[in-house]
Amino acid sequence: MIETPVERVERRIRIEDDGTVVALSGKVEFGQGLRTAFAQLVAEELDVPIAAVRVVLGDTALVPHDAGTVGSRSVAVDGLALRRAAARARALLVARAAARLGVAAATLATRDGAVVAPDGRTLGYPALLAEGGGLAGEVPADVPLKPVPAHGIVGHSQIRLDAHDIVTGRARYTADVRLPGLLFGQVLHPPVRGSALRALDDSRARAMPGVVAVVRDGDLVGVVAEREAQARNAVEALDADWAVPLPVERADVDIVMRDDPGVDEALAAAERVVEASYALPHISNAPIGPSAAVADVRDGAATVYAGTQRPFGLRAEVALALGLPEEAVRVIPQLPSGTYGRNSLGDAALEAARLSKAAGRPVLVQWTREEEFAIGPARPAASLQVSAALDADGRVGGWRYDETTSAHGFRGSTHLDPRTAPGSSGRNAIPPYAFAKAKVTLHIVPTPVRTASFRSLAAAENVFAIESFMDELAARAQVDPLAFRLRHVEDARLRHALEAVAARAGWGGALAAGRGRGIACTLYHGTYVAQVAEVSVAANGLVRLERFWCAVDPGLVVNPDGVRNQVEGGIQQSASWTLLEELRHREGRITTTGWDAYPIATFRDAPREIVVDVIGDPTQPSTGVGEPGMVPVAAAIANAVFAACGARVREVPITAKRVRAALGR
Amino acid sequence: MTTLRINGKDQAVDVPAHTSLLAVLREDLALTGTRYGCGRGQCGACFVLADGRAVASCLLTVAQAEDLEITTIEGLADGERLHPVQQAFVDEDAMQCGYCTSGMIVSAVALLDGDPQPTEQAVREALAPNLCRCGVYGRAVRAVLRAAEAGR
Repeated sequence: MIETPVERVERRIRIEDDGTVVALSGKVEFGQGLRTAFAQLVAEELDVPIAAVRVVLGDTALVPHDAGTVGSRSVAVDGLALRRAAARARALLVARAAARLGVAAATLATRDGAVVAPDGRTLGYPALLAEGGGLAGEVPADVPLKPVPAHGIVGHSQIRLDAHDIVTGRARYTADVRLPGLLFGQVLHPPVRGSALRALDDSRARAMPGVVAVVRDGDLVGVVAEREAQARNAVEALDADWAVPLPVERADVDIVMRDDPGVDEALAAAERVVEASYALPHISNAPIGPSAAVADVRDGAATVYAGTQRPFGLRAEVALALGLPEEAVRVIPQLPSGTYGRNSLGDAALEAARLSKAAGRPVLVQWTREEEFAIGPARPAASLQVSAALDADGRVGGWRYDETTSAHGFRGSTHLDPRTAPGSSGRNAIPPYAFAKAKVTLHIVPTPVRTASFRSLAAAENVFAIESFMDELAARAQVDPLAFRLRHVEDARLRHALEAVAARAGWGGALAAGRGRGIACTLYHGTYVAQVAEVSVAANGLVRLERFWCAVDPGLVVNPDGVRNQVEGGIQQSASWTLLEELRHREGRITTTGWDAYPIATFRDAPREIVVDVIGDPTQPSTGVGEPGMVPVAAAIANAVFAACGARVREVPITAKRVRAALGR
Repeated sequence: MTTLRINGKDQAVDVPAHTSLLAVLREDLALTGTRYGCGRGQCGACFVLADGRAVASCLLTVAQAEDLEITTIEGLADGERLHPVQQAFVDEDAMQCGYCTSGMIVSAVALLDGDPQPTEQAVREALAPNLCRCGVYGRAVRAVLRAAEAGR
């Protein structure tokens, strides 16, 4: 399913003299818990305590190249690579011990960082490495992995390894990095992105207290000062004249993703054709901590501390911006505020690097909240048109789906690669149901809004439409929404997830007045998710999410509570998108500047209960959980609103006004 | 020169009087566990205890803070022994990225000091000023109630 590159032990695993196992990965941690899951996988295969594993993530000087921490694939791909390398390392250690002890390798066991012979003789891993050197060599494709029933660490909940540092304030986020001689930088961002600097009067700024340098590097203008507030004040005292660029004209691109013969005919001939359109607005990644970075550029070399999802991509961008060879740039990822795709862009890091180069001292740049909303990226808007034929026995006979959105992906709306667009802008546009005749077309249109990767890319948009529409079809066919879905499901794991969540929620049971329940599901990058939302709708149309149930099957589960946490959080965040969020703009210029104008869910809005049942099939490979949990949430809520009051709201956020409008009030 | 009382110690700082307490903590005292989120008191990431109440350190000037007993996230644990609220956040894994966690814990400590056995609704109200984008609200409520239970 997922291709595994040729892997070598020494790229992934190193054992130090004190027995510490160093595990190397190009992925980065931003709260998903992958450091913990990786440590569990390595500890399991090597039979060492989890405390003996040190996971090194993303440091471009130390770890293997990686394209980026995206798409909920870290455990599936890199977790597996580490697990296999650890298993190979163990086999090499056992072989050395067998030779040393003069016994057959098959008679040896490993326990607590040592190889143990049947007669009780024990050789610690460091002793085995003292002679014969470090572990090296290719990881064979058929390297035996520890069988699942023998697992003592994987599959058991583990408190995240950074928890203690986080609750004591010791954890170092990007903006917490302190280097000797550190200065603070702020940048004067033009009113329109890409503007050219015509003229600059910096005389007032230069005279202000604490100012070390006013930097002008092409169209980048910034101030470096002893204190952050001094840099900010000086930036506000700059007088710049910008030449606003003309909007770039870009053509629409249409991509046919699926085209079964006979769709149009099936729709034309059908007795009942159901049609609907759905829409989603731009929303903000809205990290609590705005983009930040520390750069130290001196003597022809650069070290950048950044909260990035693409350390190697950022290294190339910094090298280009500074005119340095890539080898002279080291990116050391820091724990960032969670950013949900936003940190695929290097924003503050590139600015810090250029300011540091000019100042000759390390510089910290952290954007203000206003900048984060105004010039940070957003999720593309989307509109979705669906038509389906319902045949006489209540089955979908033809399905036509048109998705219109902008380019999704880390390069944002200005770059479009039609080859990868179906997997990004068209993600999950093809439903997980057994429809015999379907046509799915992706239309990509330009947007003046700056966009970037966004958690689950277009999947949340498509699944809102598909799963809302499945409910509309069920209503038209006068069939229970769960039964209607099951009628079209052939995949046993999807069926199991739907049945599991229905059983857990007591689907079909009686509810209090004003309450309603909705169901929705998805298959996202190999992870199966089925969900039930329960909402109340007040007389004025205000929707409150009351309770939520989710069944998730991500194959072999490494850290069950870690999975629950990711999925619970995903549901909470996605409920916030669904009920509250819309990023407003005027011709591409964001008009939101603070949390007052962009409310997100708070403790008051959180549902009473989010129940996540992890029903992972341990015989199946591990898949990801960072994104799938959020994907069906909007539809589950919209379907619950319909069940509660009869209002079919086809546009998010589902506001009281839209509920009233759907009811004709 | 301003003298602040922070985590039980007097700290003399030489900064302009309108400098925010948040900036002094982060830039002068290396107490970086208190974090910038919005600069407007709208998100809770920079909360500290000031005479036992949770306040936004981004909105407080050093001049205003001079007469207050300030406790930051770094001042809650007793050596290596975590404050019960910190321990409960660990036990419930009530965090993901953790950027907002310091502020949440500060709000919870302030709540439990005044109301050692709060209702779930009281916990939600007390922590409502603390925004969390990762969505750990349910776990955080459980953690605060767990800390209250441990304090019985």
